[in-house]
Amino acid sequence: MKITFPHMGTLDIILSDLFTRLDVDFVLPPKTTTKAINLGVKYAPEFACFPLKVTIGNLIEGLEAGADAVVMVGGIGPCRFGFYAEIQNKILHDMGYDFEMITLEPPMADIKDFARKCKKIASKKTLWQILQAVRIVWKKAVAIDEVEREVLKRRAFEKNSRDTTVAHKKGLAVLKEAITPYEIKEAREKALSLINEVEKDLRRCPLKIGIVGEFYALLEPYVNFDIEEYLGQKGIYLERAVYLTDWMGPSKKNSVMGIDSDELAKAAKPYLSHFVGGEGQTTVGHIVKFAEEGFDGVIQLLPFTCMPEIIAKSVLPKICKELDIPVLTLIIDEQTGRAGVITRLEAFIDLLWNRRKKKLSAVGC
Amino acid sequence: MFICVNWSYNLGVFTKVGGQMKIGVPRALLYYKYFPLWDAFFSELGAEVVLSPQTNKRILNLGTEAAENEVCLPVKVFYGHVLSLKDKVNALFVPRIVSVEGGAYTCPKFLGLPDMIRALDVDLPQIISPTFDLKLGLWEFYRSVYELGGFFTKNVFKIIMAFQKGLNKLNSFENLLHDGHLLNEALTGRFSPAPRGPLRIGVVGHPYNIFDSYVSMNLIERLQKKDIRVLTAEMVSPEIINEIVSNLQKKLFWTYEKDVVGAVFHWLDTRAVDGIIYVLSFACGPDSLIQILIEHEAKEKGFSVPIMPIVIDEHSGEAGLVTRLEAFTDMISRKAVKEKS
Amino acid sequence: MIGYLGVDVGSVSTNLVVIDEETNVVSYIYRRTMGDPIHAVQNGLRELKELLPAEIVINGAGTTGSARYLSGVVVGADIVKNEITAHAVAASHVAPDVQTVLEIGGQDSKIIILREGVAVDFAMNTVCAAGTGSFLDHQAERIGIPIEEFGNYALKSQNPAQIAGRCTVFAESDMIHKQQMGYHVEDIIYGLCQSLVRNYLNNVAKGKELMSPIIFQGGVAANLGIKKAFEETLGMEIMIPKHYSVMGAIGAALLAKEKAGNKIESSFKGFSTSDIDFKTSSFHCKGCSNNCEIVKIEVDGEVLARWGGRCGKWEIEQT
Repeated sequence: MKITFPHMGTLDIILSDLFTRLDVDFVLPPKTTTKAINLGVKYAPEFACFPLKVTIGNLIEGLEAGADAVVMVGGIGPCRFGFYAEIQNKILHDMGYDFEMITLEPPMADIKDFARKCKKIASKKTLWQILQAVRIVWKKAVAIDEVEREVLKRRAFEKNSRDTTVAHKKGLAVLKEAITPYEIKEAREKALSLINEVEKDLRRCPLKIGIVGEFYALLEPYVNFDIEEYLGQKGIYLERAVYLTDWMGPSKKNSVMGIDSDELAKAAKPYLSHFVGGEGQTTVGHIVKFAEEGFDGVIQLLPFTCMPEIIAKSVLPKICKELDIPVLTLIIDEQTGRAGVITRLEAFIDLLWNRRKKKLSAVGC
Repeated sequence: MFICVNWSYNLGVFTKVGGQMKIGVPRALLYYKYFPLWDAFFSELGAEVVLSPQTNKRILNLGTEAAENEVCLPVKVFYGHVLSLKDKVNALFVPRIVSVEGGAYTCPKFLGLPDMIRALDVDLPQIISPTFDLKLGLWEFYRSVYELGGFFTKNVFKIIMAFQKGLNKLNSFENLLHDGHLLNEALTGRFSPAPRGPLRIGVVGHPYNIFDSYVSMNLIERLQKKDIRVLTAEMVSPEIINEIVSNLQKKLFWTYEKDVVGAVFHWLDTRAVDGIIYVLSFACGPDSLIQILIEHEAKEKGFSVPIMPIVIDEHSGEAGLVTRLEAFTDMISRKAVKEKS
Repeated sequence: MIGYLGVDVGSVSTNLVVIDEETNVVSYIYRRTMGDPIHAVQNGLRELKELLPAEIVINGAGTTGSARYLSGVVVGADIVKNEITAHAVAASHVAPDVQTVLEIGGQDSKIIILREGVAVDFAMNTVCAAGTGSFLDHQAERIGIPIEEFGNYALKSQNPAQIAGRCTVFAESDMIHKQQMGYHVEDIIYGLCQSLVRNYLNNVAKGKELMSPIIFQGGVAANLGIKKAFEETLGMEIMIPKHYSVMGAIGAALLAKEKAGNKIESSFKGFSTSDIDFKTSSFHCKGCSNNCEIVKIEVDGEVLARWGGRCGKWEIEQT
């Protein structure tokens, strides 16, 4: 059995490591590019959400590369994501691919089924061995996210454009090689110090922008037009609402962001008082938090037709008005052009600078 | 007559208008599922139920102007009904119906609906939005019922009786549907003789799309005028639907989509209809995926019954629908004639 | 005489403006881009030079529009700005107390909300062309009436036709339907104007607080039918600035002037730049799996600029 899986940010690094440890035969699909997107758009239903289209493209490329099994995660709704695996299975089989779909449903729903499927993927290992491997790789995944978080904050201060990006790449390479928990710890320190050593101009007083929205759009740089790198190079201090381990994490407390999901729900309550699936409520909660922390603005990434984010967008006017924070919603799908996104971002940055100047002059600076 | 003097509860949210509380119910979304229950419940507790008019151009325009562009058409229509009612009532009933059975949700948009309405930048009357979530069990469910009744009376017994009466009304409404009556007729109690022609077409989709004649552009009447017998998902017995969906590889976690899938699969199996029209609204999340399940099943069954999807949104023109309906009915009637000979 | 050049290159039109020290418009050019921004700018410069007084000295140049980076290289711009900011700057210059800017161009449309001379909110049309000028152009062609005449026809309408549909395709089929039903041509044209305004307000201006004074600019502002439809729908007076069609370029010129305030010399290449042979070429970067298409501009083998990459490694900073 040769396994493949869709891309999502740094997921490929983490799963490659895990599968290698577990002696699982796997094949990585090529990184997400326009080719994968076009494939997905061709075979996915017209108004399915964008992540479904892109991941179908990934899986087609993975199956073409020789895989005969697909690992996906399931869900219990109400967001469509929980039904992705089932739909991908149907579409890919209708296209004539012969493969097995292994859907990992949340362990809370059916722990036995979860264990059985884990055993199926890593058939040469015992459950105990699988658990041990997951625990180590999890540490690595958290380290990768922590490094990424530093990059988002520090890029705004770099003296020479792209230095932080280069340091980040080097850091990731070091992390990739780490095997034991001790090595992972060392590699994490090394990666962080690489980023720290980038020549900085600390006199800058950068704009602070928070990025919120649907997790796939946040995590997959090709899909979000590398918005973080673009904004960072424009000298903007960024904070992102969701990191990969926060999203996958079993606990309520987000390992990287350090925010409790109950806390977010509480922050969101005056505007969106109930869970609506996906990140709908956490998006609102994060916007409120960012506003409270004095961020200059927030960018919401909304894959076209994404239900939870549309609900969040519907309550946005009230938030923006009451908390006086500008929010730019970028709707993303295969028809979105990068040039249009850049124009909006540039204008948004101008707008935020103007607001800040006005605020400063109001207090007599 | 019930007089609202319930000052201890919620700071007396209702002003007295002629002594009777007027509660507004938008004629949209889950109105098509539960109105008999709500109507009986509120009336029993002494409130006057004010229903918004049938969807019309003005209501649709109000809704599309107020709602975010990305929202699906039925929710835009709901906004329109809310706005058309807001000045005529003391309170608006916008329940948060999260789940109506264990292990499944309604639709994300129903979970956020009260918040979306509250975010509107207009003066709204009090929004009554109890949360109904059967996943949390019957105890929680009845607590919500009590909370809702608490807006009108403190008398638990009265609330339970009113709810029971509502359930009875809902039951008889649903029985009418299972007996083969169309939903709009069962709701209004105005029954018209059904066509007796040889052709039968199954129409599936959300009742708030199909039975809102403005939104569906009189789809059902158009079919009936051609002397076609129209069957809907509500006419397929719940037992059959449950059995079919329990055989799915993955459990559907949206309740209302089960009806669509169950009915279509049943018709594909039994050929109880000559053709199926599947009405979906653009940007509807669940519809976009259910469509794949249906197409896949139709393919497996060798396209035993022709299926035509119709996607509706606020751009839809009548001319396009008429042409497609004609082509589809011509096709299936020719097919039927050919099969007979 | 000292002047400042503003260039706005969009997908449909290319506009060039020169303003003087007192920010008066000296001359301007409005021409079609025809899919070739470099030549559009070069030819525009040539034409503009003919219109300008001989003694003019350009002390600063700014570019804007979707081809702002490309045209920035061609003219040697001191400042390159996005069109939203440029339009906001121009509008608040013409009317310092303006609070709402409606801009409808050929392929895109936008709304900008200003308070006390500063942009505080904006939106652009997303995917649909229904709220833009090309929609009208297309329909004008279909009816067989030149777009310039549209306004006059629209104003004559007594009983405008209701053109349904918020999408170009559906609007078109509905319009044909209305024609076949025998509506007067002026009623159809005004119906189209109303439909465009409805589209714009529902899509682009959704959720924005439109406060007076309102300025309407962009190529479509030439159409008095649209102005009337806006005024009727909003119940507010709409102002159209004198140079409505080149406001983006005026904004770019104003920004260039602002920038020149603290700069000694402009990098403007002079009007002779219209004779330079700019060569553009592109290649696919093999640095990673993204395979970005990198565009480069050369003159006599010297690379002036490169862009198109997602990571910025090919980008050459302009001096």
